[in-house]
Amino acid sequence: MVVLNFTLSEEGVVVLHDALACMFKFSDDVCLEARKDKLTLTTLNISKSAYVCFTFAANRFFSRYNFEGTPQYRDRFFCQLYIRSLLTIFRTRQSGGDQSRDRDASIERCDVAVDDGIGKQSRLVARISFRNGITSSHSLPYEVKTPTHAKFNKDEAGNHWAISSRTLRQLMDHFGSGIELLDINTDDEARVVNFTCFTEKVQKRGPVSNEAVLKKPLHTNIAVEMDEFDNVQVQDKLHIIISVKDFRAILQHAQMTSGELATSYSNPGRPMKLSYGTDGVLCEFILMTVGEKDAMTQKHKNPRPNAAKAARPELDSASHRGSSVANDNQQVPPATASKPPQQRTPIRSRQPGFEIRPQPPPPPATDRSESLFVNQADDDEQWEPVGANEDEEEEDARLEWNATNEPNPSSLRIGSYMSRPAGSHDARPDNLISGLDPTQPLSQVRRFGLFSD
Amino acid sequence: MEPQGPAPPPLLRAVTSSTRPLYQLLKSINFTNKVHVEITENGLRFAADHARVMQGVAHWSRSLFTSYTAHLTRTPTRVEDAQEGDDEVAEPIIPTFQISLPALLETLQIFGAADAAARQARADVDPYRSNLRNYRSDAFSNHTLGMSGTCTLSYPQKGDPFSIILDENGVSTTCNLTTYITEHANGSGEDDGDYNDNDIPFDKEDLSFKIITHARWLLDALAELAPAAPEKLTIAATKTEPYLRLTTASGPLGSSTVDFAKGRDLLETFAVRRRWAQTFKFDMIRSATEAMRIASKVSLRGDGQGVLSMQFMVEVEGREPSFLDFRFVPYAVCEDDEMGEVGEESEGEGEGEEEEG
Repeated sequence: MVVLNFTLSEEGVVVLHDALACMFKFSDDVCLEARKDKLTLTTLNISKSAYVCFTFAANRFFSRYNFEGTPQYRDRFFCQLYIRSLLTIFRTRQSGGDQSRDRDASIERCDVAVDDGIGKQSRLVARISFRNGITSSHSLPYEVKTPTHAKFNKDEAGNHWAISSRTLRQLMDHFGSGIELLDINTDDEARVVNFTCFTEKVQKRGPVSNEAVLKKPLHTNIAVEMDEFDNVQVQDKLHIIISVKDFRAILQHAQMTSGELATSYSNPGRPMKLSYGTDGVLCEFILMTVGEKDAMTQKHKNPRPNAAKAARPELDSASHRGSSVANDNQQVPPATASKPPQQRTPIRSRQPGFEIRPQPPPPPATDRSESLFVNQADDDEQWEPVGANEDEEEEDARLEWNATNEPNPSSLRIGSYMSRPAGSHDARPDNLISGLDPTQPLSQVRRFGLFSD
Repeated sequence: MEPQGPAPPPLLRAVTSSTRPLYQLLKSINFTNKVHVEITENGLRFAADHARVMQGVAHWSRSLFTSYTAHLTRTPTRVEDAQEGDDEVAEPIIPTFQISLPALLETLQIFGAADAAARQARADVDPYRSNLRNYRSDAFSNHTLGMSGTCTLSYPQKGDPFSIILDENGVSTTCNLTTYITEHANGSGEDDGDYNDNDIPFDKEDLSFKIITHARWLLDALAELAPAAPEKLTIAATKTEPYLRLTTASGPLGSSTVDFAKGRDLLETFAVRRRWAQTFKFDMIRSATEAMRIASKVSLRGDGQGVLSMQFMVEVEGREPSFLDFRFVPYAVCEDDEMGEVGEESEGEGEGEEEEG
């Protein structure tokens, strides 16, 4: 029984390919989710620090789109596929080059069908017809897996700006090659938005105590006048740090669409959302921003009231400030002599970064209630907090993303998630199944007769 | 043309002004280290063989050369090792040897390099020459004037190295390639013209199908199938709808099929006597992609035993077309395999003998 089928034009294939190519920079597989009115592709990177979502409107993007609910998939169908195999299928074909005859090998149409049901091989079948009459059909196995969606709280994110994605893409040319992190901050006096890129510093014990040096001692600052932006509303001197790799991947795709890229975010350590859309396609990215250890150090060194800025217009967006609670249980790191990478910014500029709005619920008992990711159930409100109906069978599938719980906040940089000491280490059996340690003293093994005396 | 002297004339002497077609033809059979070379009066024949299941043959016809002279010795009797045999009569002994294919290709590429170097030197000297559009050959380059030097191939006598002398712009390069004695004794030119005993047998009398199409289409079809890194490729020719179908069995990334269903426009010649479906190693078929790239047309034929023959027609401008010949031996089909693979795609068509005129 055909659950889903749709047809793409040649241009549609190109757009789909671009979207997949963008996702491929984040992850190896993609979740496909089909509903009556839209097709959604989502992916989450392996460190769960970036989430990508492309939504294709059924009536505008596809030349034909049909979703049949089955008893199994009543109002949505979902599956997970390898991006790599999709990329090779939905690629553009050369139109035959200089041979001007009817040798046109470009794509005429592309029909995709998902066939599923009892007693059937579950396959996604893409059938591509070329203008020259050749048809190729590819059938891909898929995994039925509920997609994971990232939560993003719009109300929390008071800072936002928008800019033409082309302009932003051009700025990217100035980024050096070996850089890792991008710090976006504003300067209200100079009316500029700064894009500062740098690498993570490595701790090096020099003759002087604990010198911090940059792995690549290049610190590039690009100041863009606020006039270039639309709708800027950002706390002054708020530093938000994201991974350059992710940002690049997004802009690479964004420049192909001529639209405007909008961002919104709240505080360091909280997610940032970037979105842009074109005809029938909505592209959304949620990136985790780096929580700042250095900033905290600064704060305690230089606790300065922020009252002077109270009159600034963007403060209204942060009306919930003033809470004494730093992020849930952010520990105060040991004050080190290390300098922050953003040395040029005045110390007090860090202030706003710490005034985290109070968490709506009382301090959570478990990590879970703080999770950024929810398994989307049947509700459509994927950007809303977890519904109450989530907790039955999908407990295991739910993802955690509680950055603030880290013992060492400096290791929170994007991408290092996997390297943190996981609790699973304790669970590892310290004996092999045979009851032998991986290594034994030779004397112990002798009795097995493996070695002749 | 050939040097006359006390020494016997060389077995082969051939001169050409352009090695490009020679290079292209040879490159398309570049899947082995050594090739068999046969010198005939009509040209040189290069046969590459891969594990006795795949064979590629390129032919340098004498029309590719400006002059071509082969002094083949003739013997009245069929002696295997004819060293001298000066008595002239009867069948010519076709000299055969093996030669390193990569080395030969490398050598042919030298030709033209001197010209490029000379152009570069001139560009350095002449500051007014813009380096814009440097890729264009200028109007007075040797190449454009058609005097781009000469390439002389010679094989003096059995056991000697195969030598290639490249002469351009006063620079002369001589390359001597070691020749090797062929592994298989040559069953002296008794068999049917083009083929000898070492070839994969292909029964032209018992053809199951013959399809001629653009080589480009076949290349596109393989490009469709290749990304999934399949191990096996099944080629099926049927009398009804999808007339020609290439299928890869399901691998980890899924399975793919390419149909040439709109046969009228796609297939130039189409004759199927009976349904034919055989499975080949995908990588083997893919070694013929270079041939598909340079050829204009391909003729696919399958015989009753399942051997697939692909003949490519390569059009060289101003000369008669050259041909490349590939033969593939299919996988042996086990009973249960056949059920699984063939049964899946038989499309409800009656198998077996459906004789057609």
